[in-house]
Amino acid sequence: MDTQAFIHERFSEFYSGNANGIEAPRSIENREFGFTLFKENMMVRHKGFINADELRDFIKRNAPSNVYYSTAYYSVPEAKMDEKGWLGSDLFFDIDADHIPAKCNKIHDSWACRKCGLRGRGPAPGKCPSCGNESFDERTWPCEICLEAARVETMNLMDILTSDLGFSFSDIKCSFSGHRGYHVQVESEEVLKLDSIARKEIVDYVTGTGIDVLFHGLESVRRDGGKLIVGPGLDEKGWRGRAARGTYEFLLAATPEDLRRLGLKKSIVDEIIANKDLMLESWAFGGPWNIVKGLGLKGWSKIVQRGVSLQSAKIDTVVTVDIHRLIRLPNTLHGKTGLLKVSFPPNEIEEFDPLKRSVAFRKGDVKIYVEEAPKFRLGDESFGPFKKQTVTLPLSAALFLLCKDAARVVD
Amino acid sequence: MSSSARPRNSKGREMAKTLTLEDMAKYPFMPEAAEEVRKLGFRIDGLFEADYAPILDRAERRVIEALTTNPPEVRYDPSLYKEDVEMLSFPVAVALVTSLANEYVKRRYALAEARRAYELLKRESEEKIVEIARKFGWRIRFSGEKSGVIKFDFALNFIDYLRNASSFHDKDWKLINKFVINGEVHLSKQEVARLLQEEIRRYIEGKIDPKIKSALPEKIFERAEKIKQTYSSSFKELPTEDFSPSEAAEEAFPQCIMELYKAAQSGRHVPHVGRFALTSFLINIGMSPGLIVDLFRRSSDFNERMTRYQIEHIAGERGSGTKYTPPKCDTLQTHGLCPGMDDICRRIKHPLTYYRRKMRAVKAKRVKESKG
Ligand code: SF4
Repeated sequence: MDTQAFIHERFSEFYSGNANGIEAPRSIENREFGFTLFKENMMVRHKGFINADELRDFIKRNAPSNVYYSTAYYSVPEAKMDEKGWLGSDLFFDIDADHIPAKCNKIHDSWACRKCGLRGRGPAPGKCPSCGNESFDERTWPCEICLEAARVETMNLMDILTSDLGFSFSDIKCSFSGHRGYHVQVESEEVLKLDSIARKEIVDYVTGTGIDVLFHGLESVRRDGGKLIVGPGLDEKGWRGRAARGTYEFLLAATPEDLRRLGLKKSIVDEIIANKDLMLESWAFGGPWNIVKGLGLKGWSKIVQRGVSLQSAKIDTVVTVDIHRLIRLPNTLHGKTGLLKVSFPPNEIEEFDPLKRSVAFRKGDVKIYVEEAPKFRLGDESFGPFKKQTVTLPLSAALFLLCKDAARVVD
Repeated sequence: MSSSARPRNSKGREMAKTLTLEDMAKYPFMPEAAEEVRKLGFRIDGLFEADYAPILDRAERRVIEALTTNPPEVRYDPSLYKEDVEMLSFPVAVALVTSLANEYVKRRYALAEARRAYELLKRESEEKIVEIARKFGWRIRFSGEKSGVIKFDFALNFIDYLRNASSFHDKDWKLINKFVINGEVHLSKQEVARLLQEEIRRYIEGKIDPKIKSALPEKIFERAEKIKQTYSSSFKELPTEDFSPSEAAEEAFPQCIMELYKAAQSGRHVPHVGRFALTSFLINIGMSPGLIVDLFRRSSDFNERMTRYQIEHIAGERGSGTKYTPPKCDTLQTHGLCPGMDDICRRIKHPLTYYRRKMRAVKAKRVKESKG
């Protein structure tokens, strides 16, 4: 059987039983919808619906491979882009493993050169080592380590949104994207009218871009006839405290190699390593800023800058500043995994298990031929790794591989 | 908490006072002042009666001061003008500027009035500043919050902050370099006054509305015409970003553009922001849309019709008809497209400025070479 047709059928079955779980976004009548369809294999945009039932009917009838809606509100969502009449947009953040370095080094991902067909593991190289071509087909997998890295970034983001920017948990919607990351959406009236420039300032705030730590308490002061370097304290609010905590975290784990990479002189690196315990202890009394001889404002700035990057949230910057963005609708299936985008209360993020909660298909087995796949988990079960073999898997796991285009159905 | 002796008030809104006549002379753009003007039964078509001569004269002076001072600033001199003249002359000056229908004069006038307000606000009490800011809908309060050794006077809702500060380019105005807690940005008095200047500037620009032009009396146009004749040399046209060199000199591209350019040439995937930056850059330096289409031809997802459409859109040949300029350096930095700065980068904020500077150097070098 044709794999695409098989997936389409399963999606269709799923939606005929579960479309009622799809909730209408706030002010559905002002949102633009977009879909990718199995047959046409293209994007249909500029759709509008006046209520949840109409939307659910459409999804049931077409069983799209992906369902999107706009973060923006429009007077006429069906109109052409420049005639829609923009009314405002939610503030939206996308945290995707693609943008986050993780300990697994993405070894589960693979690429194939579009020209000579050479294959390799991990993220695609800049240039094909064999023919020098620079474009690739890539296949990425949501692994637990990647997802964990994305969770940490999401938690950093949520901390900034609540402690610094003052949003409450009730303003924030958090979801697992159904693939490799998380979505965080602020739906407060407050943010609706923010233009792209203001949103860019927010992006810079959460990513730590353009920070100058000299504005956050790192300074050289004259005291008792000498010069003294002082810095922010661990328990301070805003970026001051965050910069201090990040610096602490960095120094705690820093190797001489890490420090040298910041461009510090060898003598200073040695001094830091030798005095590390003392430095970390001194945080209790206002920080280590003055302990290392020869380490001035410039050197400290470099170290604190590293600390800042540990505390920042690595989001997809383009998504947040785009006020016309289409995003995946919660409780719909992801066409690349067959998993659901699921929302959860922001304060539950620590316990949330994305690979369990997003499983949509719970019954039946399917026989498939797998080209190649790393080991993966869905729900409480692990599967694989597989290489050129025929296996019978639970529907959810089989669909996952089929959607990833790593397998085909065996009759 | 702070030990300041200043009277403090946590429920500021309840304390809202009304502005005095002196306040309205200083800040004649406030809604209260407009209300007062109405109460006085002042009408613009009665303006040409002899009684009103001082008002008309002062209005004219306001516009002239805006055009002839540098940096532009309307004067405030209570010994020279009575409070009611100062207040009533503002709407008349707005009418004069409106009838001049010149974008440059409009911006310059709004700026000159706003800068005057800034100078006055800096010297006001904290209460007065809060009162005025709240009239513009700002959520602001006294704070006295301390961060390290610095004490801040005000706490302003961060959205109200962004609305005014995001057009400032210095890094000390970036949100991330501010002390932000719980949705509030902590600021000094001078900073609040500067942000208010921005709010006031936009507010006044908004009042100069060409739609009301037809409702103005003929006499206003006559006066405006006089100003125009005397000061036409100050009526500069707005400087535009446009320039078209005869050839696109790759040598003068900044690193960010160079990398995108090479990526496109070799058919590597260029993300959407990158495509936009590159295309708008090339269009602005005078490369033709056709050549740019060719540049993207090697990309694996090349679609001639779409690419052409997008490029012509950016060039302003389609859609809204506006020609786009490339993003500024700090936007490119936000999206990770700035590969790091060189010496020229440190002195500029826009890749086009980089190009123009480098171009001059490159041309000078070529001239030298051809002579030597
Ligand atoms: S500083 Fe500006 S011009 Fe220079 S490389 Fe970065 S983005 Fe380009």
